[in-house]
Amino acid sequence: MPLGNFASLIHFLPELAVTATILLLVVVHVAGKNRQSAAPALLSLAGVGAALLLAALQPASAGRSLFEGMVALDGFAIFFKALTALATIVVIFMSMDSGELAGRSQAEYYIFLLSVLLGMFLLTASTDIVMLYLSLELVSIPSYLLAGYLKGRESSTEAAMKYVVYGATASGVMIYGFSLLYGLTGTTQIGEIGRALATGDAPLPVLLAAVMVTVGFGFKIAAVPFHMWSPDVYEGAPTPITAFLSVGPKAAGFAVLVRFFYTVFASPDVAAGVWKISSRVDWTLLFGVLSAVTMSVGNLVAVNQTNVKRLLAYSSIAHAGYMLMGFVLLTPAGLQAILFYLVVYLFMNLGAFYVVILVANGTRSENISDYSGLGSRAPFAAVSLAIFLFALTGIPPFSGFIGKVYLFAEVINRGVYWLAVVAALNSVVSLYYYARIVKVMFLEDPKDSTELPVPLFPRSVLCFLAIPTLLLGVYWEPVARVAANSVKLLAF
Amino acid sequence: MMEPTAYLLLSGILFGIGVAGVVARKNALIILMSVEIMLNAVNVAFIAVGSHLGDPTGSIFAFMVMTVAAAEAAVGLAILIAIYRLKETIDITELSVLKW
Amino acid sequence: MLTDFATVLVFMVLGAVTVALLLLVSRLVQPRDPTPVKLSTYECGEVPFGSSWVQFNIRFYVVALIFIIFDVEVALLYPWAVIFQRLGMVAFVEAFVFIVILLAGLAYLWKEGDLDWVRTMQDAPARKEGK
Repeated sequence: MPLGNFASLIHFLPELAVTATILLLVVVHVAGKNRQSAAPALLSLAGVGAALLLAALQPASAGRSLFEGMVALDGFAIFFKALTALATIVVIFMSMDSGELAGRSQAEYYIFLLSVLLGMFLLTASTDIVMLYLSLELVSIPSYLLAGYLKGRESSTEAAMKYVVYGATASGVMIYGFSLLYGLTGTTQIGEIGRALATGDAPLPVLLAAVMVTVGFGFKIAAVPFHMWSPDVYEGAPTPITAFLSVGPKAAGFAVLVRFFYTVFASPDVAAGVWKISSRVDWTLLFGVLSAVTMSVGNLVAVNQTNVKRLLAYSSIAHAGYMLMGFVLLTPAGLQAILFYLVVYLFMNLGAFYVVILVANGTRSENISDYSGLGSRAPFAAVSLAIFLFALTGIPPFSGFIGKVYLFAEVINRGVYWLAVVAALNSVVSLYYYARIVKVMFLEDPKDSTELPVPLFPRSVLCFLAIPTLLLGVYWEPVARVAANSVKLLAF
Repeated sequence: MMEPTAYLLLSGILFGIGVAGVVARKNALIILMSVEIMLNAVNVAFIAVGSHLGDPTGSIFAFMVMTVAAAEAAVGLAILIAIYRLKETIDITELSVLKW
Repeated sequence: MLTDFATVLVFMVLGAVTVALLLLVSRLVQPRDPTPVKLSTYECGEVPFGSSWVQFNIRFYVVALIFIIFDVEVALLYPWAVIFQRLGMVAFVEAFVFIVILLAGLAYLWKEGDLDWVRTMQDAPARKEGK
């Protein structure tokens, strides 16, 4: 039974904390004299920290439907709230250190960042297509602004323009798909839509709607062929935002993809403990192909890149491809593998981008050739980057390996061998380009041998990211258990 | 109660025009306008279906889409102005600092 | 409902085919004899001069953008106002919160100076550094 508006507020505290912080930031911006002060950053940290705490305290066991069925409060939503809030906290630390953002108006930046976070909170919990569309746009629109935040720098503005054009088109196509679903079923509740479609018999409009919705979600997770925006945006945007977009909205995109498709186009088969496709459209095969193509394109194009940010952009496309493997299996273990991989991916990917920021602060460059001799110039940063890159490759004993083991194990368990073979080949390709950066850092002579100082604060943040990356490679059981417990979807 | 077929047809045609505009035009302003046409096509579909079923949700959704369209247009135009100030053009094929 | 969509699909395909066919036929049969006069823009018989791309003050865009946002606010409040009396206190509080959030936005615009048509020279450097 869905709760009413006022009764829901008590279960809505993380979102309220973020909203209050955003409004406070507006007040700070309007009332404050100094646009470059650190106050907005600290205020955002406090607000997001409070939201993280409140989300972690929410009871995961009892699934609830809030606001007359608009959003759900379940383990799945809470997991993603905690994940995205954690990513935002790390990104705030990165932004405080970033040389690119120095001298820009601070409060506005954090208003946009926290708006995206609020959108992600709502997106991962939406159970109604109206709410889903609104929260997706709440994630997208401030992201456009953040990508273009370095106003006056050509690459950043250009990135924002491309992002707007692709993003607006993708969401327009998606919502046309929603209108088809509404027309077919006469309801906006995704649970109701799923039930109505299960009894209907019109494969063609359903297929059309599924494809159109896939465009919108595929855009968010940057799956090929909807990835065209991501390399440009990742390269042009300020680096903390690149890191943020590659982790936060991507994770939220996966959350909504899973919740939407598993509710609307599939239904739980309680006896077997898995989901089964409820309409006649076999979309799992479609996504299987999408997964294989995404990882192959991401990895193969990454090989030739000379800009580190662009390389990491293609690598993050490839990782979306790996995670899609877990999505097509329709099993709880497959979903658990995605959630676990997202946790691991958060630490290793944000870590890699953090080192990119630190190096760019010193050298003003993002070219791989300028990383030569980093092993002697800034040993701490270089060793950290090596850890993150090997983890991204998926080599034991780093955590990325465990993440991949979970995904591969379930793919093989369900007998989708061709996908496992494609993914294994892709991992080999990825070793080549990740190892290339490590080789440049440690084996090539530096062009400029002056030391790059890494102050204490970035060091501690790097430790915070590197320790889980290492630790989860040897002791991953608690996180895996949390992920397994979080795979509890609300079937309204 | 009314037959929604004609309205759905109108919506489909509008959406097609919007997509064609996005794909074929090079002027960023016209692309943004085409996106607006796409969103308005969606509005027509929602209102037609909602009115056919006697369900207010369709009209509410249309209001929400209008709001989002306004926000998207505001942000899109602001970025467009920023691009124009830097490059003196809004032809998206001229955006070539970032490429493969 | 379902058959309606099938009809729409058939119409869409037929429409696209018809347009393509008509364009093709007219391309095949039309006489082509362009002259400079024929190609010029038609302005009710006047000889056209200059470009139609006139530069407007950028300030118009800013005002238009602000207008869009607050215009839509009214659009959202309109249905609320119609049934306000039936909804009672709850709806009032909810609309109040909505308006307070928008007021924060208005305060922001005011502070940024986007509401002033004429800007003093004092504001100019502050804005340049701030944004």
